[in-house]
Amino acid sequence: MHDFISTHKTGFRLLKKIHSVNPIIIPVYLLEVIFNLVQVYMSLFLTAGLVDLLRQGSFRQAGVQALLLLGANMLCGVIVQFIRSRIRGLQNVAGLAIFVWLREKIFSMDYETVEKPEISEKIAFSEKTSDNYGSLGMVLARYRDILQAFLSVMLSVSMVIYLCLARPVGRGTFLDTFAGPLPSLLLFGCALVGMAYFSGQVFQKFSRKQKSYFAANTGREMKESYLLNQVFVNEKAGKIVRLYGMEEMLMENAAEEVGKSRAYWAGMFDVMRKTVQANNGMNSLFTIGSYLLVTLKVVTGAITVGAFTQYAGALNQFGNACFIIINCQVRLRNICTYMDKFLAFLDMESGHAKGGLPIEKQDGGEYELVFENVSFRYPGSENYAMRNVSCRLNVRGRMALVGRNGAGKTTFIKLLCRLYEPTEGRITLNGVDIREYDEEAYQSLFGVVFQDFKLLSFPVWENITAGGERQDDKIWKALEQADAAELVRKMPAQLDTYLYKELEEGVEVSGGEAQRLAIARALYKDAPIVILDEPTAALDPVAEAEVYARFNEMVEGKTGICISHRMSSCQFCDEIIVFENGGIVERGSHEELYALGGNYAKMWNAQAKYYV
Amino acid sequence: MKKVRDESGYTLWDDYRYAFHWLKKKEGAGAIAACAGSSALGVVLPFLEAALAGAVAACLISGNRPEIILLLVTGYVILLQVVRFVQNHLKEVQDKALTLFRIGMATEFYRKCVEMDGQYMESAQGRRKMTQARENLFSGEDSGIEAFMRLFWITATNVAGLISYAVIVGRANPLLLLLLVPRAFLDEFLEKSLRKSTYAMIKKNAKNRQDFFYLRRESISIENGKDIRLYRMDQWLLRAFHEVVDKIVALEYKTAKGFLLAGIADNGLTFLVNGVVYGYLILQMARGNLTLPLFLLYVGVVAGFGSWMTGLFFSFHQIYQVKVPMDKYREFMDDVTFKEDGMGRLVNPGKPHEIRLENVCFCYEGSEKDTIHDLSLTISAGEKIALVGLNGAGKTTLTKLLCGYYRPTSGKIYLDGQDMGTLSREECFREFAVVFQDVFAFSFPLVENVSCVKEGQEEIGRLEQCLQKAGLTERVNELPKGVKTTMNKDLDEEGVALSGGQLQKLMLARALYKDAPVVILDEPTAALDPIAESEMYEKYDEIIRGKTGIFISHRLSSTRFCDRILYMEKGTVAEDGSHEELMGRQGAYAELFALQAQYYQQKGQGECHA
Repeated sequence: MHDFISTHKTGFRLLKKIHSVNPIIIPVYLLEVIFNLVQVYMSLFLTAGLVDLLRQGSFRQAGVQALLLLGANMLCGVIVQFIRSRIRGLQNVAGLAIFVWLREKIFSMDYETVEKPEISEKIAFSEKTSDNYGSLGMVLARYRDILQAFLSVMLSVSMVIYLCLARPVGRGTFLDTFAGPLPSLLLFGCALVGMAYFSGQVFQKFSRKQKSYFAANTGREMKESYLLNQVFVNEKAGKIVRLYGMEEMLMENAAEEVGKSRAYWAGMFDVMRKTVQANNGMNSLFTIGSYLLVTLKVVTGAITVGAFTQYAGALNQFGNACFIIINCQVRLRNICTYMDKFLAFLDMESGHAKGGLPIEKQDGGEYELVFENVSFRYPGSENYAMRNVSCRLNVRGRMALVGRNGAGKTTFIKLLCRLYEPTEGRITLNGVDIREYDEEAYQSLFGVVFQDFKLLSFPVWENITAGGERQDDKIWKALEQADAAELVRKMPAQLDTYLYKELEEGVEVSGGEAQRLAIARALYKDAPIVILDEPTAALDPVAEAEVYARFNEMVEGKTGICISHRMSSCQFCDEIIVFENGGIVERGSHEELYALGGNYAKMWNAQAKYYV
Repeated sequence: MKKVRDESGYTLWDDYRYAFHWLKKKEGAGAIAACAGSSALGVVLPFLEAALAGAVAACLISGNRPEIILLLVTGYVILLQVVRFVQNHLKEVQDKALTLFRIGMATEFYRKCVEMDGQYMESAQGRRKMTQARENLFSGEDSGIEAFMRLFWITATNVAGLISYAVIVGRANPLLLLLLVPRAFLDEFLEKSLRKSTYAMIKKNAKNRQDFFYLRRESISIENGKDIRLYRMDQWLLRAFHEVVDKIVALEYKTAKGFLLAGIADNGLTFLVNGVVYGYLILQMARGNLTLPLFLLYVGVVAGFGSWMTGLFFSFHQIYQVKVPMDKYREFMDDVTFKEDGMGRLVNPGKPHEIRLENVCFCYEGSEKDTIHDLSLTISAGEKIALVGLNGAGKTTLTKLLCGYYRPTSGKIYLDGQDMGTLSREECFREFAVVFQDVFAFSFPLVENVSCVKEGQEEIGRLEQCLQKAGLTERVNELPKGVKTTMNKDLDEEGVALSGGQLQKLMLARALYKDAPVVILDEPTAALDPIAESEMYEKYDEIIRGKTGIFISHRLSSTRFCDRILYMEKGTVAEDGSHEELMGRQGAYAELFALQAQYYQQKGQGECHA
């Protein structure tokens, strides 16, 4: 019962949300339900009349009745066709909306929150299940079916109750007594209650099992998809598999997973079969009893042969409707199980407060950024990624961040850009905690090219402006500065050229070229602080030298911060900050740090000794 | 199995023989029996249902005693319910068998994927074929072999139903068949012509949906999250989303028009045909040629006849649709073989080999220019080679040629004087340990990633030694289950993801474990910090002691501990010699080295050993 309520609580909330997207959707679905029912029940009545007319031998009238039956059927059929052609579009409106809501929510959330593994798992789960089992369109369709079935049950039950009231014409026989209103009502009532009760029992019995199978389903499919996509049809994996002779190991692991999949599906099918058969058995008993009742009424003369067809039809509808209700209830519950997670996600707090102070952009970069005892721990991690860092950044000139893998360089940048909030301590800009500032205004101070940046399959200009307003002069200037102007000029439609092939037949760009475009994007933003995170890891020596040689030019009049494992890059910088174990251990110019003979000197020598 | 192929691929008959062969092999003859039973009852059940009204009417007007009538009707209804129950049971058994069948077939496909030619697998054509073939097994129950099999039974049911109903209708009046059969064809024809335009739109919308999917993926990826926030890309992306949604919906409305017309036409036809049928039957009754029960039976059977016809058209249409992935799959399984090339044995396996290239050219499929062009080269046994050059010079392609993974488009490669083209590839592969640039772990236990054999079959001492050499022991000790810890979370929720630097060490450990006489490392230090990089250089000697080593890097420092440098340019070796020789030659290599070295020297010169 609890299950039932929570399913429909979720269901109705979703319907409400659908209604808010487009208020026409639900009424159109209701209209379909009405006309479907009209068609079915009208046919039943008209057929009954037809049979009686034929039985009486009034063939002319029977002809008219048949025409009426067929005509009404056609009319309803055509109307339903019109309604369905509307629904074809509307179900897409509802089905796709969910993905957009999800993104609106994600965009409004802190990066720190979105990056949490449990959050990304939640998102992936919502997405995957929506793909596999249909999203809101499915919810709508199932509610339509349930409503139609429910109304159908009401109609058929009231018809049968009406049937029960019909009095036999004969008097006194054993059968006639049974065919009387009261006994028939009792018989029917018992059958109905009995069926409802046993169906409930069946539902209870299998519900938990079904639910657990369903809950495991997405996980199973993700595993299958991993094996297929990441291992067996992945040509990158393919060469390793072959060169290292991993075939047998892989096949053993795959056979294991295939075995698990088969066991899973076998169990799922068995539960389904048992549920369906238990329901069918119930349904059969009820049907047999009902036919007994209707036949009784006919043989005792309470109703005509024609009416028999009508009631038999109604009972048929009743059986089908019950089946649909049970079936849809299961499916709705399954959908709502994951939709629940989706709604819970939409209900989540977006993260930290956004602050509201404006920032006045100042020429010459008169910004003073200070870390005050800043510590940071990744969500869900016990270890500090950054511990008790205090430093003042002179926002002018060029700066290099160096240190070993995992020393805290990238974390430092993310904290600086307010992608993360310090777990302890605070960061200030011109003496004010950065959290006080309007987030958008604060982040407009930074143009960052992350190591794992990605351009999108949109025109070049949109990639450079990040979807903002198009100003060609400014775009070309940024491209020039990033040494990407020549590249874009050679493209077939210059700024309007699509990148990659996902959305349109665009051009492919190499890693180095993409990087220059990404730098142009950072420069276009006209932020006073430009940050490059390991810009040369994948570049050959010439491309690498170009990036560094132009670094000066790129950040002219701005502050440039560069993270790199290439110690030579420090040569271009006015100041170097050395990270070690989540803290700043050394700071100064190359000469100073070199003379110090500490961490920096060690790293420098580790690389430099090979170049002498 | 004999191959019967026409121009368009496999015949329907042959495909079904194939599918049945595998169904029997995987799920046994019992599964086939269940399918057959379910199909047979699939004809009986609707007939019993259609005949119910007539049968009951017959009982009612038979003039029997009420008790007898009651018994007869109840008996009939019970029979109906029993048949329904059995049919449902068999149907569920069939569904289960067919799904398990499809899932089980994955093993054959997987086997093929690991045995097919690697070079072919990387080619655009190979990837396309593989993608098409997988549709057959991995696109759910409504596509490929499972649907193909299910449709067989659906078609069988429809044909049997159609024939038996035709016999019944024919008994009323064979002329009725002349009305019903053409009607079904007309319906089919109308639908086809009306929907022709809609199919194009559906196809167009498929592209829109792909775009939507692309946006979904990119907007949600964690890596892009940083840029989306810092560059305020949210409004841009949402705008793009709404644009695509609008496009999809607009096209759906257009598509719906085609369906609407087809639907209206269908309703109209039903009206006309049923009008004639009802008229005829009522007339027959009026003439006294037909009783009420038979009237009811015929009305039911005529309605059923129509749905058998539609069902048959539909299942036929579907069969040809799912036959496409089925045929692509068979093509893939039949044609793309691996083992056809050289069977020759290596003369001295396990020894450091001499590798000689003679005028080797290599051109990627679909490319106009050779990636490797007229390259002749000898690498002596035990040499330490540094392979350097700009991006796109052909370094990675060369390594794939060296280890026999790619075969030259022209020219020959000799391993100790034996033409590699005549050798078994598996034997060649055994002689090379290659670390490629793609750094990732399979989501299996760490031990399997390193030893490449099933957990439990590894040599534990050797494993520990290799982890130690690769500098990974410390990290492995921290892992919850040590070397048995599963990598990543794809297959095991308790799996652990290693960082980029750690993965690079894992790749190295794997190469060490293999202990092959030729070691090729392609950019093994890109993700390493200066200290880890330097440690790797220092260990390099030890790693390749007694072996032939080839080291590829953009960090030219790596050339200092190699005997010989190959500087590649435009697909060929432009300069060849020791560091000193090449520096003395003042060519491209010297220039490149100077470019990278200058910044280390300007300030660090003379002090670096301090």
